[in-house]
Amino acid sequence: MQAEEKQLQFADVNNDVIRSLVVTGRNYYITLGVAIFVTLSCFFFPWFYQLFYGIGAAGNNHPAVWGTYLASFIFWIGLSHSGTLLSCVLHITNSEWRKAMYRSAEAMTLFSLMVAATMVMVHVGRPWFIHWAAPYPNQMELWPNFRSPLLFDVMAIATYVTGSSIFIYMGSIPDFAAVRDRTTGWRHHLYVLLSLGWRGTDTEWHRLGWAYTFLAVLIIPLAVSVHSIVSWDFAMSLVPGLHQTIFAPYFVVGAIYSGTAGIVTVMFVLRKYMNFEQYITKLHFDNLGKLLIVLSLIWSYINVLELFTGWYSGTSIEYEQLKYKLFGFYAPLYWEMILFCAAVPLLMISRRIRTSFVPMLLISIAVNIGMYTERFLIVATTQSRQYLPDAWGIYIPSLVEVSIIVGSLALFTTLFLIFVKIVPSVSIYEVKETMDTPRKEGSSIWQETMETPKSENGDPAW
Amino acid sequence: MVNNALGLFHDPDSALQAAGRLKRGGFAQPELLSPIPIHGVEDVLGAKKSVIRRFTFFGGLFGALAGFTLAAGTAVLYLHPTGGRPIITFPPFLIITYEMTILCGILATVLGFLISARFPAIRERVYVPEAAVDKFAVTVACDSEELFSRAEAILREAGAEVVRKISEGGS
Amino acid sequence: MSFMDRFVSGWRKYRKPGYYEDFDYAWTMTIDLDRCTGCGACVTACQAENNIPIAGESELDRGREMQWMRIERYWEGEYPNTKLKFIPLLCQQCDAAPCETVCPVSATYHNQDGLNTQIYNRCIGTRSCAVYCPYEVRYFNYYDHHWDAPLDQQLNPDVTVREKGVMEKCTFCVQRIRQAKDHAKDDGRRRIKDGEVQPACVQTCPAEALVFGDRKDPDSLVSKSMSDPRAYHVLEELNTLPSVVYLKRVDADAG
Repeated sequence: MQAEEKQLQFADVNNDVIRSLVVTGRNYYITLGVAIFVTLSCFFFPWFYQLFYGIGAAGNNHPAVWGTYLASFIFWIGLSHSGTLLSCVLHITNSEWRKAMYRSAEAMTLFSLMVAATMVMVHVGRPWFIHWAAPYPNQMELWPNFRSPLLFDVMAIATYVTGSSIFIYMGSIPDFAAVRDRTTGWRHHLYVLLSLGWRGTDTEWHRLGWAYTFLAVLIIPLAVSVHSIVSWDFAMSLVPGLHQTIFAPYFVVGAIYSGTAGIVTVMFVLRKYMNFEQYITKLHFDNLGKLLIVLSLIWSYINVLELFTGWYSGTSIEYEQLKYKLFGFYAPLYWEMILFCAAVPLLMISRRIRTSFVPMLLISIAVNIGMYTERFLIVATTQSRQYLPDAWGIYIPSLVEVSIIVGSLALFTTLFLIFVKIVPSVSIYEVKETMDTPRKEGSSIWQETMETPKSENGDPAW
Repeated sequence: MVNNALGLFHDPDSALQAAGRLKRGGFAQPELLSPIPIHGVEDVLGAKKSVIRRFTFFGGLFGALAGFTLAAGTAVLYLHPTGGRPIITFPPFLIITYEMTILCGILATVLGFLISARFPAIRERVYVPEAAVDKFAVTVACDSEELFSRAEAILREAGAEVVRKISEGGS
Repeated sequence: MSFMDRFVSGWRKYRKPGYYEDFDYAWTMTIDLDRCTGCGACVTACQAENNIPIAGESELDRGREMQWMRIERYWEGEYPNTKLKFIPLLCQQCDAAPCETVCPVSATYHNQDGLNTQIYNRCIGTRSCAVYCPYEVRYFNYYDHHWDAPLDQQLNPDVTVREKGVMEKCTFCVQRIRQAKDHAKDDGRRRIKDGEVQPACVQTCPAEALVFGDRKDPDSLVSKSMSDPRAYHVLEELNTLPSVVYLKRVDADAG
């Protein structure tokens, strides 16, 4: 190839991505092994223990019936928001910088949703009957209660999982085709199936373009509605601290916020360990950093709003909740959340920090820790202090719960690691679209636009 | 067995030129194979109608009706008054309707895509692996040797690097 | 009836708020706080009648008491001028219950007796009803409970023993109401007479602070009790329309 070393060529993209799929080093297997081990020992083993003995293995007690399982569920659903939602929004706005990173961001969405679904099963008291929450005709002639916010949840998340998987699959069809040509064995057969016989004709590109855009347009309101609906699990109650209209926007903003921070973390890992330095560049981190700053400011604004309305409401219970949140038993967690979610991201105002990889990684991890704390606080503080003071109580997560939180992270990592080796984690054709299209040899771009090609008898060809 | 002439080009504009000339030259609709979508195809080969729109719309409509029927219908099948609220209430059922609209819209879009792009491909179709990497290919059906040589001439004139004869069902 | 007929009739019957007023009975309880001594006999009776698990000391330390009826205690003032105020709190059987709407599998709903029922078999244990209840009177079975011998001999055969993962709460001793309804039906399809059915707590209260009956019957003891000027509902401002009426204690020492 006569191209200079620095300039990326189309063929290089194919080579790099296929190499990331096929070539696996020892480090990968070690990481995968550790992830699987931690998943089995920290997630499945404590969960089976809990299935056997009852939810009593968790730290829940009388006023605090919801605990870290639900907080984790909301955290993982929140993390899922950024991938597909951001990808769709950026697709509609024709942004260039999305192209290299959206595939893994969407994968993050899909796997977060899967982990969130398992968290629901861990949370529920009798998970062997959880299928009753699905609308299916049965002998008992019973249907789920569609008036319940939890059921909006079931429908919304089912739609979101379907939409996300379809979206990521549709976007990957041309990439599966590109990869199928150069692989052998089981991979070849798998990609032949997955690529559906894609050839890249103009008709196929046209249809894919339209279908993809329609899907993006449908998924954007869906993603906004999913986390609003999850927030209504809380907001439709009567209890103080939960019964607030701000919850829907609060949760959606929080979800996009924590999801974007998750994307930054995943991008860092992908870039470093899958040799994608040329595809995921400072530009991506810069733009993600700008997005994070905006979301952090909106999040801080909503928190200030909550404080303000709690304070001027004048009702004793809202004010009591507020004081408890800020200065009560969970106060250290509250201030840690404010530090990590409102204060630390302000560092990204500086362009130097936004374009340096390790600080961005650290900030994104801090943001996610802060956002998990936020979900936990919503669950713990509001249940600890409700209307009747005799029923106040403290909730401390048990060892089983902490282990399951760690295990869920390992489960997500396992799924993502497997994904990286099966599906091209950087979109081949979209990256090529950001690169310079090859031009006719010996002609400048001006000549091409000015000159209309002529056919044999001198008329223009079109 | 239909024969196809296939020309490989280095850049999309030459491929487009070649396709336009082939079309002018009276050949059947040429197909462009490319690793990325090419802009300007519709000017050369004619506008494409997309039927996916209709699938999405009717899918969404079906979803809306199905969603509301599911929620309201099951509510009256086994009467379970809850919370002093009516059995058929609009705020919760509108949310269910909304979600089902989007779900069925998404599924219908996928169905429309598969049908209109004729996926999955059961029989082998004309394809070159280079078209998925960095070359742009133009293929056109030509049944006879004479048609093939005319096509080859047009392709070479437009700047094809390689011209091949491919028969559908084999290579 | 065809499906459309069922659809329309179901929609019409439950369309306007207040449809629970058309139900068969409207079981109500009044608790006279002036008479209540806080002895806790009602709590014990409820535990005996409804097979409520005994949590045990270690579970109680973790805050997992199991009492469908609990006596709430509020201390006022400093020693030696402390005053204790207590109020027995049980499921208020709200007509506009916040817990009923949130159950995804309809394990809790309002039945034709105006009771907020919990169907143990259907409960999958999402515990959202407990979060939504502002009175916090719902209790969750964190473990499979067992009764050491000979306590297992005192279990009530009319009531189930709930397995782990199921939510439970006061049912106004629905097994007694069901039995009374059966007797009334056998007796010639009459309505239940006032005083014929009493939950365990009402039956046991030594001070007769608890009165139970049908408020649709204007001659019942409970209707007369409800018309007392001291009557109020706990957390009335939440509009849950509870079926338990409390009669305020008149504090002779206050001013």
